[in-house]
Amino acid sequence: MAKILGGIGTSHVPTIGGAYDRNKQNDPDWGPLFSGYEPVKAWLAQRKPDVLVFFYNDHATTFFFDHYPTFALGVGAEYAIADEGLGPRAVPPLKGHAGLARHMADVLVNEEFDISVFQDLPIDHGVHSPLTMFWPPSPDWPGRIVPVEINVLQHPIPTPARCWKLGQAVRRAVLSYPEDLKVVIVGTGGLSHQMNGERAGFNNEKWDRKFLDLIARDPKKLVAMRHADYIRLGGTEGAEEIMWLAMRGALSPRARKIHQNYYLPMTTAMAVALFEEPMQKVPASGKASARTSA
Amino acid sequence: MNPQLKGVEKLTGTYLFDLATSAKALRLNRFLHGFTVAANRTLFKDDPEGAFDKARLSAEERRMVRELDWAALMRYGASFFCLEKLGRVKGVSNPEMVAGFRGETLEEFLKTRNVPGAR
Repeated sequence: MAKILGGIGTSHVPTIGGAYDRNKQNDPDWGPLFSGYEPVKAWLAQRKPDVLVFFYNDHATTFFFDHYPTFALGVGAEYAIADEGLGPRAVPPLKGHAGLARHMADVLVNEEFDISVFQDLPIDHGVHSPLTMFWPPSPDWPGRIVPVEINVLQHPIPTPARCWKLGQAVRRAVLSYPEDLKVVIVGTGGLSHQMNGERAGFNNEKWDRKFLDLIARDPKKLVAMRHADYIRLGGTEGAEEIMWLAMRGALSPRARKIHQNYYLPMTTAMAVALFEEPMQKVPASGKASARTSA
Repeated sequence: MNPQLKGVEKLTGTYLFDLATSAKALRLNRFLHGFTVAANRTLFKDDPEGAFDKARLSAEERRMVRELDWAALMRYGASFFCLEKLGRVKGVSNPEMVAGFRGETLEEFLKTRNVPGAR
């Protein structure tokens, strides 16, 4: 059966991908960002997940406002890198896990989570800007993804509580997939930033740090908040943090935060946090003896 | 009224992108979203007025795009994420657009940032 190893919360600012593409790791302005992802990259290299399930948002790239999906599940085997105005980034197409994605669609819809599905569409920086920092292609991607798009652009956007429940439903879907897959859940977006109006450039480090604490220790407090609270505390685009709630909802209450980094160089607070599920100790002799000794 | 958003109206300098805004600026945002296609970028670079005609933009919409009047575009209802594509086509960075929203020059805005070189 598939199992969930842990989760990652991360910002998805396009400049994160830009810094990677321009090899800025030794630039003092970008060094603190790269070093913050190193423990995540090392953890993934060690735990070797087969699939990353990504809660992310599109940026009016793949989808337009003539039909903007509230939730959309990618069920394809491959996703092109989207052209966001400069031509696509020079990284390989993303590899999708169609089998797991189709199973997730079945489970979600049967749980009355009537998600829309997409395939054969390009995906923007909402997924691959942070991805290259912790799962770089060398030369191809180390594994497959299942993208779950969440509308955070056009209000009404789904409530924090609904995103949490989506995460819980995705957890049940993943854990009921019969193949022995190792899965990590990723939620992207935030932290504090606002990209419109005279309030553009708003940040709130105190709130960001509280969010990073609560998402690990007491996520229900975050689930109970309204969008107006997120917008007041973290800016209009800070509301992207609901995608971290979907990620956290897909983890067990026993998941522990084992690493975080926070860097606020320009307009968006760039954060990453790594969560690990308790290790299941299986002796070398195999499952049967583990059961006996339990 | 969306109960999730009650209280947001008290925040000054904030333009929430909701269904009313989206409907008002749909034509403009569709034009900006079109920059995800290389042929549309080429047309805009070679013949901006021809690109405006094709998208049937109004005189006001054309002026704002022509002059890269970021603050006016935002007030009008442009989505930041569609404006971002215009920024890429015109070689304007996000910090410069944000400075425009705030009514500042890029230099003034960068003085308020922790790491002005991180662009």
